[in-house]
Amino acid sequence: MKVSGTYTLPVAPERAYQILQDPAVLAQAMPGCESLEKIGPDEYRMKMKVILAGLSGAFEGKVRITDQVSPSSFRLIVEGSGRVGFLKGDGLLKLSPRDDNTEVSYEGDAQVGGTMAAVGQRLIDGTAKMMIKKFFDKLAALAR
Amino acid sequence: MIAQKFEYTAPQSLNEALHLLATGAKPLAGGMSLIPMMKLRLAAPEHLVDLCTLKDLNYIREAAGELHIGATASHYEVESSPLLRQKCPLLAETAAAIGDVQVRNMGTIGGSVAHADPAADYPAALQALEAKLVLNGAKSERTVSAADFFIDAFTTALEPGEIIREVIVPIDDARTGTSYQKMPQPASGFAIVGVAARVRQSAGKISFVRIGVTGLSNRAYRATASEKALEGKSESPVEISSAAELVAQGIDANSDLHASADYRRHLAAVHAARALKTAISRIA
Amino acid sequence: MATTTTKTETFVGKRIRRREDPRLITGTATYVEDIQMPGMHFAVIVRSPHAAARIRSIDTKQAAAAPGVVCVFTGKDTKGVGTIPCGVAMPDLRVPQHHILATDRVYFVGHPVAVVVARDRYLARDAADLIEVNYEVLPAVADPEKALAKGAPAVHPQWPDNTAFTYHQEGGDVDKAFAGADVVVKQRIVSQRLVPMAMETRGVVAEWRSADRQLNLYTSTQIPHLVRTLVAGMLGLEENRMRVIAPEVGGGFGSKLNVYAEEALMGFVSMKIQKAVKWIESRRENFTCTIHGRGHVDYYEVAAKRDGTILGIKLKLIQDVGAYHQLLTPLIPQLSVLMMPGLYKTKNIRADIVGVFTNCVPTDAYRGAGRPEATHGIERMVDILASELKMDPVEIRLKNFVSKEQFPFATATGLMYDSGDYAAPFKKALDLVGYHKLRQEQAEARKQGKWMGIGISTYGEICAIGPSPATPAGGWESATVKIEPSGKVTILTGTCPHGQGEETTFAQIAADELGVGLDDILVLRGDTAIVQYGIGTFGSRATAVGGSALYYALQDLKAKIKKFGAMLLESEDVTLAGGRVICNKTGNSKSFQEVAAASYRALKLPPNTEPGLIATRFWEPSNFTFPFGAHIVITDIDGETGQVKIRRYVAVDDCGNILNPLIVDGQVQGGVAQGLGQALWEQAVYDDSGQLITGELMDYAVPRSHMMPWIENHHTVTPSPVNPLGVKGVGEAGTIGCSPAVVNSVVDALSPLGVRHIDMPLTPEKIWKLLSAKN
Repeated sequence: MKVSGTYTLPVAPERAYQILQDPAVLAQAMPGCESLEKIGPDEYRMKMKVILAGLSGAFEGKVRITDQVSPSSFRLIVEGSGRVGFLKGDGLLKLSPRDDNTEVSYEGDAQVGGTMAAVGQRLIDGTAKMMIKKFFDKLAALAR
Repeated sequence: MIAQKFEYTAPQSLNEALHLLATGAKPLAGGMSLIPMMKLRLAAPEHLVDLCTLKDLNYIREAAGELHIGATASHYEVESSPLLRQKCPLLAETAAAIGDVQVRNMGTIGGSVAHADPAADYPAALQALEAKLVLNGAKSERTVSAADFFIDAFTTALEPGEIIREVIVPIDDARTGTSYQKMPQPASGFAIVGVAARVRQSAGKISFVRIGVTGLSNRAYRATASEKALEGKSESPVEISSAAELVAQGIDANSDLHASADYRRHLAAVHAARALKTAISRIA
Repeated sequence: MATTTTKTETFVGKRIRRREDPRLITGTATYVEDIQMPGMHFAVIVRSPHAAARIRSIDTKQAAAAPGVVCVFTGKDTKGVGTIPCGVAMPDLRVPQHHILATDRVYFVGHPVAVVVARDRYLARDAADLIEVNYEVLPAVADPEKALAKGAPAVHPQWPDNTAFTYHQEGGDVDKAFAGADVVVKQRIVSQRLVPMAMETRGVVAEWRSADRQLNLYTSTQIPHLVRTLVAGMLGLEENRMRVIAPEVGGGFGSKLNVYAEEALMGFVSMKIQKAVKWIESRRENFTCTIHGRGHVDYYEVAAKRDGTILGIKLKLIQDVGAYHQLLTPLIPQLSVLMMPGLYKTKNIRADIVGVFTNCVPTDAYRGAGRPEATHGIERMVDILASELKMDPVEIRLKNFVSKEQFPFATATGLMYDSGDYAAPFKKALDLVGYHKLRQEQAEARKQGKWMGIGISTYGEICAIGPSPATPAGGWESATVKIEPSGKVTILTGTCPHGQGEETTFAQIAADELGVGLDDILVLRGDTAIVQYGIGTFGSRATAVGGSALYYALQDLKAKIKKFGAMLLESEDVTLAGGRVICNKTGNSKSFQEVAAASYRALKLPPNTEPGLIATRFWEPSNFTFPFGAHIVITDIDGETGQVKIRRYVAVDDCGNILNPLIVDGQVQGGVAQGLGQALWEQAVYDDSGQLITGELMDYAVPRSHMMPWIENHHTVTPSPVNPLGVKGVGEAGTIGCSPAVVNSVVDALSPLGVRHIDMPLTPEKIWKLLSAKN
C-alpha cells in the first residue's frame, strides 16, 4: 500500500534532520515503540506494542536508516513481526525549508502480513496515516 | 478460530461492572467486533465484563424533550423501536442499515459507537443529530458531544475504564427531514461511504442542514462546508448538488482494496446529494 | 379370470422434495465435526505466514511441554510419508515434491509447517502459539505473468523460469484461416482466482485401531475410494486396511475433489499416538490452504469473414498453478482448450497453455473446472467480433452454431458432441425476454442517458466425466443394488453426492424400475467398507454415469425377479409391472416382497440361478455428454455509482432428460449464484509479497440471498444418446453459462462509450471509471 504526505515540523531543516535520526527521539515518537537498541551503524533492534481497536500485538524487528543525504533526505525502514502478523514500512523522507520550519514530505510503502493482513486490509491506509500523524505530532512536541 | 483463555463476569450492577473495568477488565457488549478478533487471537483480553446482562443499560425512552438510548440496546431494538421511528427516524433508519440480520440482533449501540470503526454507520447519524454521549467511569460521569467524541480511527474520548452508558438524541419536529444513504461493502456490509442528512425548510429555503459522513476517512465528521453552502439556499437540484460536491472538502480520504480515495470522494458526493434530496422530501 | 391391473405411482420426472433436506435443515446431519470418539485428540496446524522463506529452525520444546499436549511433529518427522499426488500425466510436467509438512522451505502463505496434538482443541491451539519458527524471508511472486517475466524470483529454485508445463493443441489449418480472414479481433481476458467457499470447511478424523491394524479416516471429501487408495499409498499402509468414510459433506464444488496434506497427516498422527485425532479447518485456513479455482490470463484471437463466419480461434492460456500441483491442477486448463470453440462449428484452432508456478495456494477444479473460463472467453470474443462487424450478437451466433443435423459433431479439439439443438434454447430465451422490444427499450433508455444492457451467453460444456482412457483415474462408475428378504431395496453408489441430490434421484429411478415406493429404497454412499469401488462425484457425472450403472444393475435384478416370479407362477410368460410379477395368461401375480422372500428362502430355485437378489455393475461411458443452453441477462447500471443491478435473469438449459425438475432447477440456481459471484463480486487477491489480502469473509464477497436476482429457469430437452437415462448432467452448467452473460450485458450497456471489454469482477469502481472516462 502506497502512503505519502507532508508534515511541517517547527524547527529548521538541519535540526529536523538531526532529530529524525536520533534513536532516543525516534523511540519516543514511534507509536508503541518500547525500545530501540543500536545493533550496527544506522541499524536498531526495535520492540513495539500496538494497541488499537482491541487488537494488541507485540512486535519485534528492526529500524534502519539509509540513503542519507544530509540535510535533505533519507530512507527510513521499519520492520516488525509478532504473533498477530508482521509489518513493514519503507519510506523516503525529504526535508525542505519553509520559513523557519521544515516541510517533511514522505513517500513509501506500508505492508502488512499474517493474520492482521487477512482481516485488516481495509484499515491499512487509515491506520498508517494515523500512526504517521502520531509520529510527527510527537516529534514536533519533542523538538521544542 | 479459538480464543485465548479469559475470565468472564456477568455483573450484578453497573457499579460492579465499572469497578471491574477500573481494574483493567474489558467490557463486552454484543461482541460483534470483539469476539471475531479474539477468535483470531488479534485481541486477548484477560477479563471480560458482560454489559448485556445489565437490564438497566438497555432502554429507549423520552425524557426532558430528548430521547435516551441505553448502551446495550441492540441495533434491531433501535431499528424497530416505535418511539425512535416516530421521533428520531434517522437513528432507526441508520440502525437498519448496519451489517446484516445476525449482526443487528446482537450488536449494541454503545458497543458499536465506543469501537468507532471508521466505516461504522451510527457515527454519521450521531454527528448529523449533534448527539450527546454519557460516559461513566467507576467514579465519574460526564457528557460529551458527538463532535468531541470521535477523534480518530478506533479512537474516542473514552478514558480507560469508561463506558458509554447512554446516547442522547434530539426530538426533531415534523418539519425536519432526515435520511441515511450508504454504499455498503458487499462482503462485510460496512459503509464504503455513509451520509446522514438532517434538514429543515422555512419560507421555501433550507434553514438548517446537518450532514454526518462515515467511511470516507478515519472518523465520522460533520461536512460543514456542504452545510454552509446549502443553508439559506433553495432546495433545487443545482443547489443540492453544489453543496454535495463539497462534502469531502479538506478530508484525506482513505483507500483500500474495495475503493480508491477518488472513488470514495465521488461516492460521498453522490450519497450526500441523495441523502439531502430524500431528507428534504421527508419534511412534512 | 381376474386380471390384475396395478397403477403404481411413478417418480422420475416429478418435482419431488429431497430426502436429504430434513436432516440438513434441522441440524441433525453428521458432519466430520460431529464425530466424537472416546479418547479422541485434537490437532492444530501451524502454518507459514510468509509466501516464500527458508526455514532456519523450528523450536517445538515449549509447545511439546505445554499442558495436555501429546506430540508435536514437523517436516523432519513426516519425511517418510509419501508426497501429495498429482494425478495428471503429461510430457515434461514438472512436479515439485509436495511433502505433507514443509521441510526446508515454505512456498505459500498457509504452507503447513508443524502439527500440535493435545487432548482438547483449546490446549492444542494455545500450544501452537508456543512453536517458534525462524524464517529467512525470500522474495516471492504472486502473479503468473510477473512470474514469467525476466528476473522474477524462482518459486522453485530448480525451475527459474517458473514454468510448470506447456501444452499445445492444433485442429484444422489455423494459419490459413487467419490469412484468409477479413477481420481478426484480439482480447486479453482474465478469469480471476476464486475461493470455492464450501459452507463446511475441510475436516478429518483419523482413527488408528492398532489391535486390528486398521485405519479409519473420516474426511469431508468428494472421492472416498480414490482418497483411500492414494492416502494408504502415502502412509505405506495396505489399501484394504484403510477405510475412508465421507460423512455428510457440506458442499465441495470441486475443492474436495482432492487429496490433501491433512488427510495423510492425520493418518500419520493417529498411527503414531495410537489414538483417534480430529482436525477441523478454520475458515481462514480454508481461504489460504484449500485449492483456489480459475486463475487464467487468456489471450484470444478470432478470425472471421465480414459476414460473421468464424474462421479460426487462437488461444494463449496462462494458468496460475500456484506453488504445487494438487490432484488435477494441470488438467483443468486442458478442459478449457477442449471447449474453446464453444457451440461454433469452426474446425481451425490453435491453443498453447503455459502453467506457471506462483507463491500461492494451488489452483484446481472449482465448479466448471476450465469450462467457465472457456465459455467466458469464446462468448466474450463472439460479442467483440459482433461489435467489430456491427452485427447483432444474436445473428452472429445463429450463423456459427453447429446445426442440429450435424450431430454427433466432431469438434476442432477432438471431441464428439453427443447431441444438441443450439438454436432451440436460444430462441426460447430470446422469446422469453422479448429481445426485439428490449432493443427498442434500450434505444429509448440511451436517449435518456440511462445505461441498460442485454447480455447473451450461449454455452456448451463437457461433463459426465468420462471415458476412462480420457480420464486420470478411470471414468466409469459403479452401483450395487441389494434387495432384502423383506423386499426393501438398498443402493450402494460409488459416487459421493454432497448436495447434488442423488439420494433422491437414485431412489426415483429405482422406484420406477422396480415398481416399489420411494420409502422402500435406501441410497448409501461414501463408506469404502460398505460401497464397492467408485470414482466419486465431480464433473457433473453422478447421475449421468453413476445413475447409468444403477440403471443396468436394476435391469440385472429385474431379470432375476422375473425368473423367480416365473418359477413361483409356474409360467415363463410373465411381466414385471407395478411392483408385481404377473402371469400374462392367467393374470395371477406375486408381489415384489413374495418374490424377494422366495429368492432367499430358496425352497426351490430356478434353473442355473443362485439364491439372493443383489447386482453390481461397473459402467463405462463411451463418451462425455455435452449440455448446452442460453442465458440472457438484463442489467441496469447506476450512472452515479457504477453499480450493476440485474433486472432480469433468464436461463434456458438443456441437460437432456430431466429426472427431477426441482433438483435440476436448484442446481442451475446454485451454479448461477457462483457464476454471479465471479462476474460481480469475488476475487482472491494476493499482494506482491504473496499475502492473501482477501483472507476473510469480511473482504471476500460471496453472494448471499439478498444479493441474488430472481432466476427464471426454463429448459429444452435433447436427450443424450450416451447413456440409457438420456441425461447430460447439470451441476456445473449454471456457472458456465452465467458469467459471460453478465459481462456481455454490462459491456453492451456501456457500448456507446466504446467500451469493448471489462474483466471480472465488475466492481462499481471499475464501471464508474469507464463512465467518468468519457467526461
